[in-house]
This record gives sequence, C-alpha cells and structure tokens, in this order.
Amino acid sequence: MSLKQIVPSRKAKPQSRSRKNLGWLLLVPASAVLALVIGWPLINLIILSFQEFGRAQVFGADIEFIGFENYSNILTDDGFWQVLNRSLVFAAVVVVSTMVVGTLVALLMNFVPKRIKVLVQIGLLVAWAMPQLTAVIVWGWMFNTEYGVFNYLLSQIPGVDFYGHSWLSNPISFFGVAALIITWQSVPFVALTIYAGLTQIPKEMIEAAWLDGASGWQRFKDLTFPLLRPIFTIVIILQIIWDLRVFTQIYALQGLGGLREETNTLGVYIYLTSLGSGEFGLGGAIAVVMVVLMSAVSAFYIKRTLEDMDN
Amino acid sequence: MMKPVSLLGQGALATLMRKEQKMRKSAVVAMFGVAALTLVGCTTAEDTTSGSTTDNDTSSDSATSEDAVTGDIRVWINGGDTPDSAREYLIETFEAENPGSTLTIEQQDWGGLVEKLTTSMSGSDSPDLVEIGNTWAPGFTSAEAFMDLSPYFDELGGDDLLPGFVEVGTFDGTFYAPPYYAGSRLVFYSKSDFAEAGVEVPTTLTEYVEVAETLNSELGTSGVYFPGKDWYNALPYIWENGGEVAVNDGGTWDAQLSSASSIAGLELVKRAMDSSNAAKDGDEAESWVAYCEGGHSMLSAPSWAAGLLVPREDAPCERSADDLGVFALPGADGGAAQIFAGGSNLAIPQASQNPELALSAMKIMLSPEYQTIMGNNGLVPALTSLGDTLGEGEIPEAVSAAAANSKLTPASPNWADVEASGVLQDMFVKIASGEDIADAAATADAAIEDILNG
Amino acid sequence: MISKNRNLKIFAGSVAGIIVFLVSIFPVYWMLNTAFTPNGLTRRSEPLLFPSNFTWENFQTVLFDSDQTPFWPALINSLAITMLTVLFALAFAFLSSVALARFAFFGRKTFIVVLLFIQMIPGEAMIVSLYRQLDTWQLLNSIGGLTLVYVATVLPFTIWMLRGFVLGVPEELEHAAMIDGCTRVQAFRKITFPLLAPGLVATGVFGFIQAWNEFLLALVVNSRPEAMTLPVWLRTYQQVNNETDWAAIMAGSTLMTLPVLIFFVIVQSKMTSGLVAGAVKG
Repeated sequence: MSLKQIVPSRKAKPQSRSRKNLGWLLLVPASAVLALVIGWPLINLIILSFQEFGRAQVFGADIEFIGFENYSNILTDDGFWQVLNRSLVFAAVVVVSTMVVGTLVALLMNFVPKRIKVLVQIGLLVAWAMPQLTAVIVWGWMFNTEYGVFNYLLSQIPGVDFYGHSWLSNPISFFGVAALIITWQSVPFVALTIYAGLTQIPKEMIEAAWLDGASGWQRFKDLTFPLLRPIFTIVIILQIIWDLRVFTQIYALQGLGGLREETNTLGVYIYLTSLGSGEFGLGGAIAVVMVVLMSAVSAFYIKRTLEDMDN
Repeated sequence: MMKPVSLLGQGALATLMRKEQKMRKSAVVAMFGVAALTLVGCTTAEDTTSGSTTDNDTSSDSATSEDAVTGDIRVWINGGDTPDSAREYLIETFEAENPGSTLTIEQQDWGGLVEKLTTSMSGSDSPDLVEIGNTWAPGFTSAEAFMDLSPYFDELGGDDLLPGFVEVGTFDGTFYAPPYYAGSRLVFYSKSDFAEAGVEVPTTLTEYVEVAETLNSELGTSGVYFPGKDWYNALPYIWENGGEVAVNDGGTWDAQLSSASSIAGLELVKRAMDSSNAAKDGDEAESWVAYCEGGHSMLSAPSWAAGLLVPREDAPCERSADDLGVFALPGADGGAAQIFAGGSNLAIPQASQNPELALSAMKIMLSPEYQTIMGNNGLVPALTSLGDTLGEGEIPEAVSAAAANSKLTPASPNWADVEASGVLQDMFVKIASGEDIADAAATADAAIEDILNG
Repeated sequence: MISKNRNLKIFAGSVAGIIVFLVSIFPVYWMLNTAFTPNGLTRRSEPLLFPSNFTWENFQTVLFDSDQTPFWPALINSLAITMLTVLFALAFAFLSSVALARFAFFGRKTFIVVLLFIQMIPGEAMIVSLYRQLDTWQLLNSIGGLTLVYVATVLPFTIWMLRGFVLGVPEELEHAAMIDGCTRVQAFRKITFPLLAPGLVATGVFGFIQAWNEFLLALVVNSRPEAMTLPVWLRTYQQVNNETDWAAIMAGSTLMTLPVLIFFVIVQSKMTSGLVAGAVKG
C-alpha cells in the first residue's frame, strides 16, 4: 500500500522520520499492555492446543505434545459441530434482528417529534445501562415458570393459558428468550450509532428525495444506506464478533433452566471444556478454531472497513 | 448435603442448603432438642481473624513451611452448612493449640468452586485446607492436587471414618481426603393430607409412588414434589430396581441407564414426576415454600430441611409443626432405599504454604468434639461412632436408617465432569417433559461413557 | 394531501416510539417493582403489577444481612477497578488513536486489523493462562490485577472508537492555531482536546460497562471473599437465593444497575453528541 492511499490527500506531504517514530511511540503503552495481557496468554493458548493438558498437568504432571490430536478430536466430534451450527444460526438471528430493529429505531428517532425522541433515547440508555448478568436475571424472573409476569400477562388474553409454561425447557424457546435478551441489550448501541450518523445527512438531501416522491424504502436504499455504509459495516462486524462470542447471557440463562447439553454455544462450550472439565488443551484448540472461524465470517466486512478507511 | 458440581451451582440442593442458614440452624437445633449451643455470630469471629490476618500478613508470607511453627492459614468452607458454633470452635481451638498462628475461614460458594479450586490450588495463593464435594474428590485426587495423608490416616480417625467417603478420598491406594460430614435425605409429608386422601405411610418404593399418585389425583397437590432437574432424588429409583448409572468393566466405564433394570426405575421416576406440579425443568430449590403454602403433600429433602417446613418466626407456614411427618425413602424390598450419599471431604492442597498447620486444623475438624457439633446440627458426622449425636426421635432415626444405606456415584476421576455437563439433569428433564424414556436414557448413556472414558 | 399523510405518519411514528420506550424500560420497571415488594408477595400466580405494598426491606436484607456475602466491599472493589480501568484505558487509547488517526507509518493498518482480531479471542479459554500470569506478577486478589486485564480487554474497542473521534476533529484547526503561534502540543491541548471530550466520554462508557460487567475472570482471580467484585457478589447472591428470595435478588440487581445508570445520566448528553462526532468518519 502506498502512502498516498493511507493518508488523505490533504495530509499527503512527506513526513519526517521523527514524526513517523512519534506515531510508533504513541502506540507503545497500549501495545505493551496488549502484548502482556493478551499476546502472551494467547501464545500459551496456542501451545496448549497442541498438548495433552488436563487437570493433572495443572497440578504439575508431565506435559506431552500430541500434535494435532486435540484438533482432530474436535473436528471429528459430532457434539462440536452441533454447538458450532447452533452458535452460527443463533448469532445470525441475533445480528439480523439487532440490525433491523436498531436501524428502524434510529430511523424512527430521526422522524418523530423531539419529545418522543427524548423518550426513546431514555429508554435505550436505560436498557443499555443494565449489566448483562442483571439483565439475564431480570428477564429470567419475568419468564419464570411459576411466578413470571409474562405467563400471567399472556394468560389474561381470553382463551390463552400460559400458567406454568416453561420457556426455557425447549431449546428453541430457550434461544428465543436468549435472542430477545441480547437483542434488547444490543439495540441501543446500534440505534444510537446509526441515529448519530443519520443526523449528519444534510436535511436538504432528504427533502429533495421527499419531493422526488421516493418511497421510504427507496430513500433508505438509495440515499441513507450508501451514505452510512461505513457505519453499518463496522457495527455489523462488532455485532458478529460479540454475538458469536456470547457467553454470559447463555451461561447465566442455563443456570435458570433449560437443557444444558442442547443449549451450549461456542463460548459456553469452551468454558465447560476447559475450566469445567479441566481439558485445557482441548479447550484451547476449540478457541483457536473459533478465532479462525470468526475471522473467516467477518473477513468480508473487515476488508470493507479497510477500504472505507482509504476513502 | 449435596454439591452441585461446579459451574452453575444449579444442583439444586446446594441452593436449598445455602438458603437461610441461620434460620435453619436455629430451627434444626430446636428440632433436635439441643438447646445448650451458643450460637456466636460468625461475622464477629471473622472480623477478629481477618484483622489479625492483615497484621500477620508479612510474617506469614515470608515464613516457609520448614520453620513455620507459626503462620496464618486459610480454610475454605463451602456454603452455609458448617454451623457457626463449629467455626468458632475451630478457630479458638486452633489458635489455642498453635500459639502465634491464626486461622481464617473463607466461606466459598458451591457455584463455580471447581474452577476456583483448579486455579487457586495450582498457584501461589492456595488455601491451606479445603472442603470439597465428595463426588468430585476423584477429579482432584487423581490429578495429585492434594497432599498425601496416608501416614496420618489413624490420627485422623482411621477406621471410624465413614467408609464410603474414605474410599472416594483414596486414589491408587493413597489416602488424600478424609470425610467431613455426610448428608441424608428424608421424605417429609403432611399427615393431614395423608388422612384426607386416605393413604398410609408407604413401605416400598412402588407403594410410595402409588401414594404420590393418589395424593395428586385426590387433592390436586404435588403427590411428591419432584422437579425435572432433581437427579439426586431420582437415583434411588434406579438403584432400587437393580440398575446403575455406570459400572467399571475392566477399566472401561459402561453406562447402564438404558439397561432393563434402570429403565424400570426411570419409568417409576416418570410416574413420580407426573404426580408433581413442579416445573419440568425446575430444580428443587424452593420446595419448602410451596410445601408451606399447601402445594405439596410429600417432598424428599435433606434432613435439616425439617426446620423450614414448619411455621417460623419470620416466615409463615400454613402447615403446623404437628402436621409434619417424616420417613426414610422406602426401598424395593421394604427396608430403607439406597439413597445418594451427598457430603463433603476435606483435603490439604499440595500448594499449601503451611501443611503442618493445615493438618493440625484438619485434626480439629475431625475430632469427636467438633464432629459432635456437626451431629448436633443435623449433619451426619464423619466419625461413625458419633451417630448418636444426631439425637433421638423420629427424624434422627430416619436419618440413621437412610444414612446406613447410602450409595455413591461412580468413583471415576471424570465423574465431576459428568455432573458439570448436566447430562443427568438433561435426561430427567426430558423424562419429566414426556419424551421417550429409552431414547433419553440411551442419549445420556452415550454422553456419560464419552466423558468417563474420555 | 402529502402533509396530511405526513401527519399521520408522524402520529404512527410517535406511537411506535412510545412502544420502543415501554419495551426498553419494562424489565427495569419490573426489577424495581419486585425489589420494592415484600418477598412474601412476589411469589404469586397473580403478580402485583405495581409496588403497592412498598417496602425497603429487601434492600435492607441485601445490604445488611450478615448471613449473606457482604455487599459493600464488593461495591468498593468494583468501583475502584472500573474507575481505574476507564482511566488507564482512555489514556492509552487516546495516545494510540492519535497515532492511528494523525500519523502515517508502516503497519498502521495491520495494527487496526489486530485490534479487531483481538476481540475475537474467547476469553473463557485464556483464564488459566491469565491466572498464572497474574500469579507470577503477584497480582491475584488485588485491584491492580483485574484492572490490568480489563484495560487490555477494553483497549481494542476503545482505540478503535476513539480513532473515529480524532478523525472527526479537522487537523486544519490545529494548523490554524499553530500559525497563531501555538506549539503543536499547545495547539493539540487547546483545540483538539476540548473537541475530543465528548468522544472520550462516549468511549469511557464502553470501558465502564465492560469492566463493571465482567464476572468469570473476577470469580477465579479474586477468589478471596474480601476481593470479590460486584458481578461475582450478585451471582453468588442469586445462586444462594435462587427462586427463594426473588425480591432480594431484584434488590441486588437494582444495586448493581444503579451506578451504571447514574454514570449514564451524568454523561448522557455528552455521549450522544460524542457518538454523532464519531460516526462522521466511522
């Protein structure tokens, strides 16, 4: 890549060597922390994934390198593929629902009177502020089989009886609840970010589109989305990463009900394998596979983002 | 008393156990007619020690085990089962016997404890003495996480120690973890419900289920309260029908849940669960509340739960104390059923900085005096000779009957992983929800073999 | 015709907005409702929709019941760790983001990709490695240990986000100031930094939430009861009381949510304007 590409033209003047060095210097504190706290354990993790490393090794037994055995164990294990598929489908559903709802809420905020907009913003901030663990506990309480408010409210509809309905025992329903919780918590970030982008689009452009008689969908497709594409791209990357990695919500929800074996996602599976069962080598290998997978899934968007940076 | 292995701590009973310890204690003490116990607030005790801990921190850190006649040791006690009076006794006795040393009790929660033990005992900040759930002892003994206690076997109680627990604390002929206490489960019932439905206390397991069904159909209550995740209470059905969870066949574990005998047991479990109004995927944590509200006619619970099933000072109960009856779960043949023996073992981590002092504390915890306190509080003492400390009366007799016939889960180093994976809970939830029993059992068998032989 | 149509749309939009608001706050409302209801009344098949039997007793139980794991030390630990995390993460991220936004050098893009890549690593797998690392540095059961790890955890996203804000401040402004006789550092301090303040706030919020939420590592690394953080406290509390004292659990949840809410209210206006600025350049 040429310098020209990296730096916008207005800044494209030759830079002194000291300035380049200053750039690096400024990165030192962050890089040092990242290298120490992420880099070194990451290297350990990769080494671990090629070792027979169980609880006995934690307490000092001899460590043996076993090549790719952990990897072949995983890749030939049906359980792993089930967890993987489940995680991918779940993440896809949550990313799509979060993006759709988030975008709609953002468009809504851009459109309604100020008083309503403030109300929506307050609601979003409140949902956003709630810690993950708290959110799961509270939602779990609302979905409680015996005393949950949802079963009560649904049963008020004539002809509907949800008393004693267990929302978590069926895996599909379990993931429905999980998706609801995660979407509820993720929409604020997406909506507020996209809304922030929307406010940057000049009013005249929107007005012009109105006068052209463009429909709402056309305006979004032809005007708003192209202008905000960089924002959408980065938000999607982050959602993909966060939703594929989801741990706390599923783990805490499993504590409240449901079949654990059929509701494990990758994050929980790694945790159960390494810390739960003490199979650290195996857990390490799953983690490595997971990172490779996530890179593959988000490669397209990352490339996009890097291209956007050049413009 | 039961430990949910690990993670979610949703093994139910633990939750039940940990709840309202203070209330329970006073209630149990009253039940057992032991009035002379002075309950000392544990906060005060802990405050004092933690104060001195800070003062002694430097000295204890620099002290190595060789010259460590004095030091500060940290003891991990889990949940609220250990009574305050026992904690107090431990601290006072230890500090009297080891002048200049201090003992700090750090109460841990059962949830997430396997993880904490794994990391902490492998690092420099290891506790000096730990309490572990009996079923996961093999997972740590096989990893050589604990100090070899074989030379001290006799000093610690010897043949007087609960044999099943000694077995589980021994690996490859080396003795690592003596028992701490055992729990026992009893069936509690409402006498008035029995009278109303016209049923008698059952004498066999099948009769017991029939009684539950009658109660459920006559009164609409939970015949026996039996939520789907309650696998501890479901195991006796399998055992009494001649089934097993898994057997060791020449070094390989063979899961037995789908054997004909086990299936017969599971079918009985299904009938019992059908007589229950409990959530099909619930755990047994809240059983006594609904009992008090008149929702259950019978429930199987740890012996000390007796104190929670009657009106208390700050918790109303619609059922009176006179109404509460109790019996040991009946077996197939009429005697007491083989019940799951929950409980704890004690161990000294290899990484302990003060193993001698830890051993001294362990001896105190296994002394007749200390174990008497445990017995007086409704916990089955680690020393079999102290069985009578449980007291006399209906409940202690039922406890003894039940404890005499208790049984453990497969003694495999990987058993803790089976518990952690939730496979048994999953199976019983499926059965409770009406899925095919043979299918659920076959799935569970495959998963269990995978873990035990993995 | 158009305007009538438009009014109708605005009305429909307002209704939708109110629905969004209600859906967003209902769980919080329900949490408060249960937290202020006597425990005996929470477990009914017909729940009380309003805290009509208002009580503080659940909060008393949570805060002062000596049988439970104490709340206050956990709160202090969490506040200290979270504040320090935000402080250090912002400082380090600020330097890095300036480098990434203002300087051209070889490896800049690689660094950015690495930042994204780091976020993909599942932390659950690294706990044992991290534990041993912290043990070597004697940082177990300390404020510093968790802070260090949290700083590293939030840095990638913080840098990424802050970079957007720095790009949003035109460099020309600095040049103008330098022409007026300011040094480069002065120009930066007087012009760019104030313009960046909202961005710092918005970014700080992320660090705050993450550090405040984390519980798995905190559970293992700070295993001594006195070193416990708030999420571990809440988790323990919930497990001990699950399904027996929902009112107290909700009171505990409220206590854990409260500091974040307060923080959000304080920085709210800054945060939205920060997001606007950051979004310009993505």
